[in-house]
Amino acid sequence: MKKQILEKTAKEYFDAAEDEFHKKRYNSTVVLFFKSLVALIDLYILQKTGKSPSSHTDRFRITQDKFPEIYDLLDKDFPFYQDSYVQIMTKELAEVIKNDTKTLAKKTKIEL
Amino acid sequence: MIQKLWLKKPKLSYSKDVLDIIQFGSSVMEDTAPNDTDIAVIFQKISLKNQLDQAQKIKKQLQKHSELPIHIKTFDLYTFFNEANFAKEGILFYGKSLISKDYFSKKLGFNPRIHISYSLKNLEKKDKVRFHYMLKGRKKEYGLLKKYGGDLLNPGLIEIYPEYENVFIKSIKKLTSEFKLKKILSFEE
Repeated sequence: MKKQILEKTAKEYFDAAEDEFHKKRYNSTVVLFFKSLVALIDLYILQKTGKSPSSHTDRFRITQDKFPEIYDLLDKDFPFYQDSYVQIMTKELAEVIKNDTKTLAKKTKIEL
Repeated sequence: MIQKLWLKKPKLSYSKDVLDIIQFGSSVMEDTAPNDTDIAVIFQKISLKNQLDQAQKIKKQLQKHSELPIHIKTFDLYTFFNEANFAKEGILFYGKSLISKDYFSKKLGFNPRIHISYSLKNLEKKDKVRFHYMLKGRKKEYGLLKKYGGDLLNPGLIEIYPEYENVFIKSIKKLTSEFKLKKILSFEE
């Protein structure tokens, strides 16, 4: 059940991010791509360990311990999500986060 | 606690795309309790993806030298001076380069200093004396100016280094509220 929920939310956030991207609303786009990315990271962890993280802290800890390449993506992109309230996000940044989300989609074998 | 990463002289590996690596924020200020170490990496004009990938490698190296989490931001010169960069004044004025081990603004030809002007005219004589001791010291005790490398430019005007702003303000406030701060980027001819 958790697997289906994560797949559904990942796709929904990704589609919504694409919509916002076309409207050139890049702060919303970054937030939504990042949410999609997080859903896919949780799905990846679920696929590999049978468990999913309960918080950002838990997610960081698990990926740092077991999936360093995923941790690098998360650690790189998370500050933009945190700063999205107070910083102007650019089209270029939105595209970077979109690509990272697609990377995770490939790893989890999900079609966005 | 001051996290003098720039004085630790960490040996960092980075590409020629990097113009500077700067520590800024509360971790460079004396008399603060920072939660993280803010770092800005300024790049030549390269793609954002490339900036972020390179910054992650620098972050990993720096994390080994810092007890606090490293919070890294990337810029090129265009995005650094963009009006949307709310951190630029802090980086420019207080930032310390991990490459030159000196103020980042020196790279641009400027010396950052704070001028504090104050008036003692409404103070009682004993408090005027206390103020003097606070700045200049007493017997074998150093005053703030000697301890933190400041200067008395004129009566009622001192010049201090940016990172000691909180130390001076806290001490001055104990005796008077009649003071003003001016942040200055000066250049030597």
